Amino acid sequence: MIWIIFRLTLSELMGRRRLALVVLLALLPALVALAYRLGNQHDDPPQWTADTLLDGVIVTILLPLTALIFGTSALGSEIEDGTIIHLLSKPIPRIEIVVAKLGAASLLTALCVVPSAALSGFIAISGSSEQGIVTGFLIGTLLGTVAYSALFVLLSAMTNRALFIGLAYVFVWEGIVTQLFSGTRYLSVHQCCLGVAGLFSTASEKTFSPDLGGTEALIILAITVVGSVVLAVRSLNSFQVGQSS
Amino acid sequence: MSTQATSQPGHSADVVVHGLSRWYGNVVAVNDISFTIGTGITGLLGPNGAGKSTVLHTLSGFLKPSAGTVEVLGEPAWRNPSLYRSLGLVADGEAVYPFQTGREFVLLNARLHGLRDAVQAADRAIAVVGMQEAQDRKTGGYSKGMKQRIKIAAAIVHEPQVLLLDEPFSGTDPTQRLHMMNSLEAMAKQGKTILFSSHVLEEVERLSDNVLVIINGRLAASGDFHAIRKLMIDRPHQFTIRSADNRRLASALMAEPAVSGVELAGDAISVRTQEFAAFTVAAPKVARAQNIRLLELLPTDESLESVFAYLVKR
Repeated sequence: MIWIIFRLTLSELMGRRRLALVVLLALLPALVALAYRLGNQHDDPPQWTADTLLDGVIVTILLPLTALIFGTSALGSEIEDGTIIHLLSKPIPRIEIVVAKLGAASLLTALCVVPSAALSGFIAISGSSEQGIVTGFLIGTLLGTVAYSALFVLLSAMTNRALFIGLAYVFVWEGIVTQLFSGTRYLSVHQCCLGVAGLFSTASEKTFSPDLGGTEALIILAITVVGSVVLAVRSLNSFQVGQSS
Repeated sequence: MSTQATSQPGHSADVVVHGLSRWYGNVVAVNDISFTIGTGITGLLGPNGAGKSTVLHTLSGFLKPSAGTVEVLGEPAWRNPSLYRSLGLVADGEAVYPFQTGREFVLLNARLHGLRDAVQAADRAIAVVGMQEAQDRKTGGYSKGMKQRIKIAAAIVHEPQVLLLDEPFSGTDPTQRLHMMNSLEAMAKQGKTILFSSHVLEEVERLSDNVLVIINGRLAASGDFHAIRKLMIDRPHQFTIRSADNRRLASALMAEPAVSGVELAGDAISVRTQEFAAFTVAAPKVARAQNIRLLELLPTDESLESVFAYLVKR
């Protein structure tokens, strides 16, 4: 059943306008990296690649925005247009619906973000000995894709303002609050991505040193995914027609 | 005290509703209603906003009752996905996946039900609603009536014992409507329990012997359609008559047994009667006997809402 719903969700998410927007977004980091390489200032390419490109552009902007677009649409658009009734009026365990939706949103997000991170990262850092930083970020981005998607699928199951709340989480909570108060980094998928990137990166501490430990980050990401799925299933179990929150 | 009713087309009660209420904040959508439904077709009749969709959504497990119980085939409807093995639902609205063809949509529903021979089941359901010719077109290009029919095909693909339909005929043309009605009648003859909502009296009259009339969230009447129809016809009616000599015609009409009251109102006569049909036959005869030319004979306030309002008052 998961496979059927997964394929259905992929078909829904691959609308031309949505795909065009995401592909354009995904091309931006490569253009930024290319502009950097063509420029004259190359003081410390590994540092620039880690801080500005992979953290500042990929993990801070591209990853959450892409996950937000696919994650909130995977379930939210069906709830909004009423087609969710066709899935919920079947004798299917609700966890299969949530897992299928999460899988589809994660796959499409990963297909857009991970190649973009790889391409732009290797363009920016080519010729350097610290290319392991890109590998670390690719794993961090991949796991972050699942965590962000799970969070946004949950949001769309719970409220019809998922997009707005998701944007607030990305730009206000992760963009401002976690920068001001170090204790809040445990509640940030962004910080977890950096933690995982640090765990799998072979770069020196001078080049890249995340605030969160790798193991801590992995545990928090796992809790985020499992918790989001459990809460989304609970929300679908109590789904009511015309319910607005 | 709850409004109780039994609508019993068949022998067993597949749907049992007891003391059902549903409110949204301070707004009461359905107020303390009870009824049972057995096999056959039952019409859920009421004006727009009466609470019909709320009743259907609670029966299909998509709304939690604020009070009371709803059981379908002996099981609670709320938070019971396994019930959908025996329950089919056609919700109001046009929501279908626009990127799928009609056939793909029905096949998807068959597969989601885990049917062993999903292809055969989809073919059969599409044939029941007569959508074979349009089945390979994208549903995004379907008319409202075609969407309704393909949604019905999807709802019956697993041959449910209980079928709930919310305004299934809205947007359909007369030919489509007739085909759908024949299909539903055929299913009822196979022993299925079908409940459909409508605000059109004629649809209910054509299709169901049994009816639940819901008005302002309350069950105003239920049972045999013809008895309720008679109640509706036998209610007090009012006519406005204009003639060449209103005063003389008013005197003559007062002698008629079908007339319960006559009033001169400006350039017209207002007549009250308990017997709609008898009066419409008698009035022209009286005018002819008196040699008075009838200019206009109009029943006033014959809207469905006024009929419903009368049933509520009773």
